[in-house]
Amino acid sequence: MPGWVFIITRSLIFLLLLFITTKILGKKQISELSFFEYVAGITIGSIAGEVVTGLESNLYHGALAIIVFGFITFLVNFLSIKSKKFSDFVEGKGTVVIKDGKILENNLKKEKYTIDELSALLRAKDIFQFTDVEFAVLEPRGNLSALLKKENRPLTPKDLQMKMGKEREPQTVIMDGNIMDEPLRCAGKGRGWLYTELEKLGVTLDNVFLGQVDSYGGVTVDLYDDKIQVPEAAQRPLLMATLKKTQADLEIFSLETECDKSKAMYMKNAVILQEAIEKLTPFLIG
Amino acid sequence: MTVASNVMQCLSTIKGIEAQLSSLALNSLEEEAKAVFHETALTIANVKKDLQYRVLELERQEPQYKGS
Repeated sequence: MPGWVFIITRSLIFLLLLFITTKILGKKQISELSFFEYVAGITIGSIAGEVVTGLESNLYHGALAIIVFGFITFLVNFLSIKSKKFSDFVEGKGTVVIKDGKILENNLKKEKYTIDELSALLRAKDIFQFTDVEFAVLEPRGNLSALLKKENRPLTPKDLQMKMGKEREPQTVIMDGNIMDEPLRCAGKGRGWLYTELEKLGVTLDNVFLGQVDSYGGVTVDLYDDKIQVPEAAQRPLLMATLKKTQADLEIFSLETECDKSKAMYMKNAVILQEAIEKLTPFLIG
Repeated sequence: MTVASNVMQCLSTIKGIEAQLSSLALNSLEEEAKAVFHETALTIANVKKDLQYRVLELERQEPQYKGS
């Protein structure tokens, strides 16, 4: 058998073997979270490369080595789940390098990081002043996680004491002009509903490249034909504006009318609408 | 525009709001949002009743504008 046939068959065999190994080890192997996965990833790769191109080496020995490496990593992962102590020992623990805005020099030295390297890691997280940091940990993987001080953190609705309506994840219901039935069912809708919504938007199904349903049942689409302007979903903001207008109208009526009974009725309903507006604001805005 | 027609206009806007709230209540996935939309639709229905009564009163006072 000529050499190239060997290489082709071996490549195919090892590709399959590597695929199966990574599938069994799972997502953790791809992200190489711990020491074992890191080492196993490198070694398995080089063994495969060596065996595939080195014609004189034995195919079965290479395959055996990969299986052993894969098995050991699998075993370590399995034991790590069972025992916290074991996982601390094998996968390592994070090292605190900044606490209360102060750098812990001893821990930094223990991990053999220089100040330049630490500030480079901080800069990668858009932090240029170490005093802004409340707490920072060097993870076992070598990356840095930092918690900013409360006043330096980005503003959230909670900080402003704003009430926000809860939101579900949007479901992608149309892909490439085809209706995806399962996400549609997750959104609690049917095909008939979707056709009606598309008609409301004035688009045909086969022109839709991507269509999503948000948690308020609003449909947003991207069309193949980029020249067509799709009306923006404005039902909820529009409803808010209409509510405000009606509330103002009722107040005006109450001022205009001379009949005392009607005055009171208008005022009462204006107040009711005002309450409704306040209640609906988190759900209609944003 | 007479007072009667203004009030009638307002009444139909309120009917529209009620319908939109009901449809939002049916279409929303989040239970909390569903509940709030539904409750508000019921409140708006009460407001609608008051206004409907007022429209009838106005029609009696100004019969020449009835149905306009």
